Amino acid sequence: MSLFKTLKNGAAAAASSYKLILLIWVTTLVLTLAVGYPLRSFLNMIFGNSMAVERLNDGFDLGITGDLGKSFGGLIASVSAGTMLIGLVGFFIMTFFAGGLFRRFSLAWGGLKVSDFLRTSAGNFIPFLKIALLLMLIIGAYTFILTGIPIIAGLIVSGSPGQTGNIIYGLFVIWALGLPVWLFVADASRRWIAATGSRKVFRALGAGFRALRMRFWHSYLTVLAVVLINAVFILALMWLAGTSTPEKGITVFLFFLATQALFIIRLFMKAWRYASVCEAVK
Amino acid sequence: MRGILLVFLCLLPITAGGQIVIDKPLSQRLTGYDIDVTLDPVKHTLNGMMNAWWVNHSSKPVGEAMMHMYLNAFSSSQSTFASGGRWSAAGDDGWGWVKISSMKDGMGNDLSGSYGYVSPDDGNVNDKTVLRVVLPEPVAPGDTLVLKIDFVSKLPSPIQRTGYNEDFHFVAQWFPKFGVYETAGMRQREADGWNCHQFHPNSEFYSNHSVYNVSVTLPTEFVTGSGGKLMEETDLGGGLKKVIWRAEDIVDFAWTAWPGYKVVTRKWNNVDITLLTCKMGLSKAENHLDAVVYALEYLAARVGPYPWPHLTFVDPPLSGSGAGGMEYTTLFTTMGGGAVPVFLKMPEMVTVHEFGHAYFMGIMASNEFEEPWLDEGVNSYWEQRIMDHYYGGGYGLVQLPFLKMSDTDQGRLTYISSPSRAIASNDLPSWMYPHGTYSMMSYNKAATWLHTLQGIIGDETMDNVFREYYNRWAFRHPSGRDFISVVNDVVKSEHGDRFGENMNWFFEQVLYGKGECDYRVSGITNYKIRSYSGVVDGDSVTYTRGDRRSDTLYISRISIERLGDIMLPVDILIRFDNGKEVLETWDGKASYRDFEYTGSSKVIWAKLDPLDRIDMDVNRINNSWTLEPDRTAARRMLNKFVLLMQMMISVFTL
Repeated sequence: MSLFKTLKNGAAAAASSYKLILLIWVTTLVLTLAVGYPLRSFLNMIFGNSMAVERLNDGFDLGITGDLGKSFGGLIASVSAGTMLIGLVGFFIMTFFAGGLFRRFSLAWGGLKVSDFLRTSAGNFIPFLKIALLLMLIIGAYTFILTGIPIIAGLIVSGSPGQTGNIIYGLFVIWALGLPVWLFVADASRRWIAATGSRKVFRALGAGFRALRMRFWHSYLTVLAVVLINAVFILALMWLAGTSTPEKGITVFLFFLATQALFIIRLFMKAWRYASVCEAVK
Repeated sequence: MRGILLVFLCLLPITAGGQIVIDKPLSQRLTGYDIDVTLDPVKHTLNGMMNAWWVNHSSKPVGEAMMHMYLNAFSSSQSTFASGGRWSAAGDDGWGWVKISSMKDGMGNDLSGSYGYVSPDDGNVNDKTVLRVVLPEPVAPGDTLVLKIDFVSKLPSPIQRTGYNEDFHFVAQWFPKFGVYETAGMRQREADGWNCHQFHPNSEFYSNHSVYNVSVTLPTEFVTGSGGKLMEETDLGGGLKKVIWRAEDIVDFAWTAWPGYKVVTRKWNNVDITLLTCKMGLSKAENHLDAVVYALEYLAARVGPYPWPHLTFVDPPLSGSGAGGMEYTTLFTTMGGGAVPVFLKMPEMVTVHEFGHAYFMGIMASNEFEEPWLDEGVNSYWEQRIMDHYYGGGYGLVQLPFLKMSDTDQGRLTYISSPSRAIASNDLPSWMYPHGTYSMMSYNKAATWLHTLQGIIGDETMDNVFREYYNRWAFRHPSGRDFISVVNDVVKSEHGDRFGENMNWFFEQVLYGKGECDYRVSGITNYKIRSYSGVVDGDSVTYTRGDRRSDTLYISRISIERLGDIMLPVDILIRFDNGKEVLETWDGKASYRDFEYTGSSKVIWAKLDPLDRIDMDVNRINNSWTLEPDRTAARRMLNKFVLLMQMMISVFTL
């Protein structure tokens, strides 16, 4: 199968799973709003009837933080705790749903009812969690070896990060080019579990590495292409969200709809990677 | 004494009288230094001799001389500078000191037994940064004291303002240097005497404007720069060269030598600007040069001309970062441009700030030890104005689409966020600020009340204050009281008695007092009136509710309170629901004030200090009140938070 066909089939599979992706979206929205709403109320309470909130209209004016006094400390603590909570719960949720998605993409006939999706998500959760933790550990070590150690060594030897700047940039490029390898192994391993029903994590990882070795360039380029497109999309989305400052109530609502629509596309693109890897190892 | 005069006359043509750098003397030139040293880059020592001269400009004979021996601050961990763990030597080679091997006066009298160390500020017997020289004969009024001194200076490591790191050398506060002999009346002083403070952790500058002829011999591979004009660079053979600089009318002379320097130059009007940077800093060299040109341009237009034809500044490498952020008038050091992201203008801020000291302490040579606000505070105020004028459309420090901060707010934030902001007045000597409040008080509180002063008297008057300050005090030694006197005179001439007989009421509160400023709008109420007879909007009105149901009258009340001790005049902008706005002014003296209006419109919001001119107000959140709070920003922030969190969990999970 050609690379283009793999990507095309992956995209089609992801698109046909829209109900599952919408379910994931709703879950993330509920989770984030559960933390975000109290934060919004806190912010409204801090400002009360003040018009100083105008200083947040065109980006966050750091100058106002001193006027907020202790309330600002409370706000930062709440945001930090909320972020930690969402990060942790979100990790489990995404790992959970990955179990169902991989099952969906490894089925020959395609369709999967929501109830079956949830059932397989639950069934695959533990091995998927183990694979996720193992691969994150591996990627962390890979990142440290490739970028952390050279930076530390460069600082010790030359006393200046500037002396090793170009080498660091080069290593970062190598790191980024190597990342799809690990993502492919993670995805192929999970696909193996979803397809076989086995719970053996290390066998799954072995299957992932074997799949990579058998058709390395096809596998690697599949993930690289999807990751690159995803990265560009994410950067564009974050830039758009960061720079947009809707000022009226209706535009704020439209901004919310737009950003959520773009996030749904992002979820489709992530599912596209899963589906493309499943296509690649078929 | 005739002999001393003779020596002075002999020296005069080559020192005080010689016009080499500037067309005519800018200062009285009461002191001067001819220094010839050799740098040993392995031992990090400077061996040499110096002819130093001082003119007794007082009306009485002076029997002693006082000199700064700043490098001795690094000779002991018990010095006033180093004690408390503020600095410790990097091994046995790290200690710094300056030792006099021979001292003679102009007549050739050996003064070896005539000097000793004193500690006028704290009595610390382990501090050897002030030398008192008892003269064999008093120096008569108008006579010149000449001291011929052979000395060795050892640079300290790690670098703290001055010192070395491997082959990087930043040589500051490195030679015996006269204190300032103050006459009665000068800076409100009661009697004549020397003003010569120890080397403190937070202050080191108060000197006469001097003439410097400095000659340094060092290996040829070193790239050098100084606060003087390069007169000559000669290859001596054997891998050595001699560099000769001359500087006129500056308060301190520092120089640097490092083989790794990259040199970038630019010319602005008649000023040759030289930047010594490192390889990593080259990428930010143009940014630094832009910043210094902005500062030159802004201060020249609003304060007074930069009088020297040369200016050198240094962006030290990481290994020499301890030398960063210092000021020696025509030489200053900035910091780490190469490692800071473009949106954060911190390096440019340091460049603007350190250059600004050429004016505030360099030209207007105030006493940093005793009145640090007049040096650091005034300079921070101008730095903030320059940064916010040239960068980021008013947000001179951070300018991102979703995050921003003005340099002025950065200073104000430091002041209003400090829990110790009210524990001391702002007029203390640098070493007397309690609980680590020196920086916050000297830099930030002072800059904040200067912005407030500008808000009260107006931008143009404020600029005129500083133009007059320059006219009166350039190349002299102003005190805080002298500055206040300038403010009073300029404000009086431009505004008459609008702000009272003088502006002392302002300085008594913000400079000499400890109080805080906080005004607030405590509420808005609109009452419907059932019956009324009076004047509304200029018309006589008699009204009972039953007559005109559709045109209700209201009594609207805006309640204002003063929560702090500081009393300043404030404006209040009030808006009615028919779009009409009223600007009220309150002298701000009472504890509270109610503004009441009767009319067919309700008040919908009120803003105290609507143009944010009173930076001293420690809480601006309570400066306004609206009946229709705008929750748009909070909703938008919620939207962005939700998206950011969703992206986080989608990106950072496999």
